Amino acid sequence: MSKSYDAEKETFMGIPRKQIPWWPTINYEKCDFCMECDKFCPHNVYAKNNDEKQQLIVKNPYNCVVFCRACAKTCAPDALSFPDKRETTNLIKKLRSENK
Amino acid sequence: MDKQLCVLPCNGLDKSLGVIARAVALNLIEKKPDFNLICPVLLNTGDEKYESNLRESRTIVIDGCMTRCATKLIEERNQKIYKRIFIPDMSKKLKIKPGTSLKLSENAKKLAEMIAKGFIEELKVSEKEDIVIVAKTERMDFFDITVDKFYFQVPKEGYFFNENDCWIKPDSNRALIGITDYLQNQSSDIMFVELPEIGQEIEQFDDVGSFESVKTVLQLISPGSGKIVAVNKALEEHPEWMNQDCYQQGWFAELELKDFEEDKELLMDGPEYFEYMKEKILKEKELLDKEKED
Ligand code: SF4
Ligand code: SF4
Repeated sequence: MSKSYDAEKETFMGIPRKQIPWWPTINYEKCDFCMECDKFCPHNVYAKNNDEKQQLIVKNPYNCVVFCRACAKTCAPDALSFPDKRETTNLIKKLRSENK
Repeated sequence: MDKQLCVLPCNGLDKSLGVIARAVALNLIEKKPDFNLICPVLLNTGDEKYESNLRESRTIVIDGCMTRCATKLIEERNQKIYKRIFIPDMSKKLKIKPGTSLKLSENAKKLAEMIAKGFIEELKVSEKEDIVIVAKTERMDFFDITVDKFYFQVPKEGYFFNENDCWIKPDSNRALIGITDYLQNQSSDIMFVELPEIGQEIEQFDDVGSFESVKTVLQLISPGSGKIVAVNKALEEHPEWMNQDCYQQGWFAELELKDFEEDKELLMDGPEYFEYMKEKILKEKELLDKEKED
């Protein structure tokens, strides 16, 4: 199901998904590359990477479900962060009113 | 409560978090020698003494990571989890890094001790709390759709929804919140819920709790903003109500609303959500069918 997800065509609350900047940010100072988040996320957001210093990357940011932060729960070193919810909500409201 | 308590750690030897889970269990047993310690490996061989221990007691599971081996051992047996300790949560809460060493580091040792100590304190408090079962059942009209062997319903009136498949049912300045049939179906048999704390201030789209099945862990993302004034404690004993009756008995929490008129701007009503859900289900079915063909 997640494999064939097409971010280009997706919308969230009537807004093209690509206009909403919501995805996890990895703090490489804290991350120990346990890959728990990658194993957990069903939407293929993360990917393993060959760079020793960044063994994990956010490969498909727009696959991330807006307002989801479920994978942060798996991360013991607290290396994952998300955008400010209120800012995101306000942005969605603004874009929606522009689209009307 | 006079039931015996069992402690089942995941015991993951190949992960620092599993090693800590084991250490927490040992700390608990040291502090409470009347708890029964259960070895997950022996349990997995079908040991009769452990099996009957589990049937007759309340079980505390300790999981090191999201693989949730201890939780799964209980779920496979159709037993209930009484309390769960999840090491990543605790590590964040206590602000102690678990580290990656497979040997118990000084930090990890301290973390395990503090988790056990805090847990026993918490147990004392929760044993005093009464479980209040509030069943709010009334007759309702639904939209419905059947896809393959799955049946989905959406209440026609009185409920509002977000795109994260959670509902809110306002009633003057209060509102109940919960999950929709779609989310309930996604998770299959719900075995464990993590409810929010009463008094907690919630913004719209905050996650207010989680629920789990063998298959997955999902969050409830609040359609409304306000203060948590009640939680459905009965779900701790009956998590299956979220599957069986997600719109009524399976309510999750109650909010004192802050500004529902504003919240509503980003919500759908029954007919709108039903269309949205239907489209999502059919799209998923299409993709699934395609994958099968490939
Ligand atoms: S769970 Fe946390 S520490 Fe582990 S790989 Fe993901 S971000 Fe890094
Ligand atoms: S927030 Fe949810 S959808 Fe996004 S990466 Fe994490 S688990 Fe995946």
